[in-house]
Amino acid sequence: MRFVVKRLLLFAAALFGVSVLVFAALRILPGDVAVVMAGTNATASRVAALRAEFGLDRPYVVQYLDWAGGLLHGDLGMSALTGRPVATQVGTRAAVTFPLIILGLVIALAIGLPLGCAAVITRSPRLRGFFHVLAIAGGAVPALWSGLLLLLLFGRGIGVLGVLPSQGFPTDGWSAPGRAFASLILPALATGIVAAAGIMRYTRAALEDIAADGGPVDMAMACGMTRTQALLGVGLRLAAPQLVSVAGLTFASMITGVMVVENLFALPGLGALLVGDVGNRDLVAVQSELFLLAAFFLTLGLAVDLAHRALDPRLADDKEDR
Amino acid sequence: MNGNRTDMIVTRDTGDGATRATGVRGVRARRIAVVARTMWARGGGRYALVTLALWALTACVSLFWTPQPLLKTDGYHVWDAPSAAHPLGTDGTGADVLSWLMAGSRTNLAIAALAVVCSAAIGLLFVGLMVARSNVLASVSVAVVDALISIPTVLIALLLAVPFGASAGVVVGACSIAYGLNLARVARPAALLAARSQYVESARANGAGGLDALVRHILPNISPVLAVQLSMSAGTSVLAEAGLTYLGVGVGAGVPSWGHSLATSVKLINVFPLTVLWPGLIVTLVVVALNLFGDALRDAADPVANAALRETVAVSAVAGVAADVASGRVSVVSAVPDRAVATSAAMGRVAAETEGED
Repeated sequence: MRFVVKRLLLFAAALFGVSVLVFAALRILPGDVAVVMAGTNATASRVAALRAEFGLDRPYVVQYLDWAGGLLHGDLGMSALTGRPVATQVGTRAAVTFPLIILGLVIALAIGLPLGCAAVITRSPRLRGFFHVLAIAGGAVPALWSGLLLLLLFGRGIGVLGVLPSQGFPTDGWSAPGRAFASLILPALATGIVAAAGIMRYTRAALEDIAADGGPVDMAMACGMTRTQALLGVGLRLAAPQLVSVAGLTFASMITGVMVVENLFALPGLGALLVGDVGNRDLVAVQSELFLLAAFFLTLGLAVDLAHRALDPRLADDKEDR
Repeated sequence: MNGNRTDMIVTRDTGDGATRATGVRGVRARRIAVVARTMWARGGGRYALVTLALWALTACVSLFWTPQPLLKTDGYHVWDAPSAAHPLGTDGTGADVLSWLMAGSRTNLAIAALAVVCSAAIGLLFVGLMVARSNVLASVSVAVVDALISIPTVLIALLLAVPFGASAGVVVGACSIAYGLNLARVARPAALLAARSQYVESARANGAGGLDALVRHILPNISPVLAVQLSMSAGTSVLAEAGLTYLGVGVGAGVPSWGHSLATSVKLINVFPLTVLWPGLIVTLVVVALNLFGDALRDAADPVANAALRETVAVSAVAGVAADVASGRVSVVSAVPDRAVATSAAMGRVAAETEGED
């Protein structure tokens, strides 16, 4: 229990820290939003008026408190360029990005877990070598490249087997689930295959450690299980806490690939929104979006740590050694 | 045998630092040679060494010569197929793809090198704080690392890109922060074990400061982790550069890099799919090489796994103890546990050889 409280306090502190960081980093900005919005041949008074309108002329502390207070009420502010609330913008984009990441993670787990287990179960040195090469080479592919190769293979109009939509997302969103899903398959594969290599490597390492440790796996075999049964039935359960951590970290690390792939497949996702807003120096929007994403990943980290604890009863009676 | 030994074992009449330095340098050179030979003996290590050497060579050559000038464009030969003049064809401005890829190697090499150095600095700083005697420092730094570890590289890059604009510096900065934190987290268990060990205890009892203990005792203990993590970081920085440049927050427009080549080739894939192949292939091969390099270095530099190195280490440990004692800097009692890596057998042999020389 002490661990949970401590972890929650850390989470709150980290949220605060990140909000200060994001806020401070964006104030060093050379071209500020008022100047950009006013256009190239704007008068100084027009810029000043815009500054006043967005409250950019107030002291930083007041600006920060205003923004942070809004965040606490779920008010993310208005985009300075489009004039729409940031919250709705983020909401529509997240409906593309999150299904994409989750689908990618499912693919990564579906490929990485079995291969990682197979790499430990097999006894043939040749197969082991093959799995080793596969794990290293798979993780070395840039997501942009895997996406391009998939496009060249399966993309409609481009690929050798043009069976899947190659670009875009249905304009009516998820009201046509089949079409929306189909347009996510290739992007999800592009990120999932690369992430699978990482999951495979970690699964192999975790399972190998547990097998080498003897104890439980050997015990299960002494009780009559075959080596495969013991590894999958006992070893995998013991590796579960570690694997949850790895899956969480993979989820976080996939976001780079996801942003690239969104761009490549012309999906209207969070990545495209964020990159566009950074390019446009839309201070208000970038600030809230960066904070939201960072908060999401902090939450993910929290969830992973708590799940790790819950899955590993051996940690429960530990002193707070971490 | 005579020539070999004299440069390592310090003679008793000169106890000054200069002699000691040459002796240790000789040992270090031999140790590096042994490690390199062990790496070369294995397929993966050999592939890594060859690929990385080619990378460095190409980067150097591209500073002085590329098949075609980078900025030479040709409106009549855009997206050309490979030919004698353009072995990998031309891009959308008629510039030579091979030349741009060659020039890109130096940008990526610089980014990778800087990212490794900076992330090592950040990582070691946090490792130092995490194993600090002060409880407050230690728990605060652990909390900071645990909290920030889940922020992805691309978010840090986007944050940096707002004030600084798209540049190689943004890639280096984002990679350094993200990989540095990761390094700290991964190296912490080994560092803690070393920090609580008896040899650190005895070194500190002898008056070694915290920094000294960190550099001389904790660092060698986390060096296997460092080798693997840092070379993986170098590889990931190449991948990150490609992604970030494509997103428009990486190296600026007109700067050659593999990410730049990959991003420009994307625009016309439906017409000229082959141009996509090369930059992606190069990135993949280089990242594989960096990952294998880390693994091979860890295995080769581990005195437990590598018998040839064990002998060299033993010799150098004895030489080091001899030098320390000869220079009167430490007593025998404190010097021996300090460098107790030497196996007693090897120590005996070296001692015998030294006696023979006299």
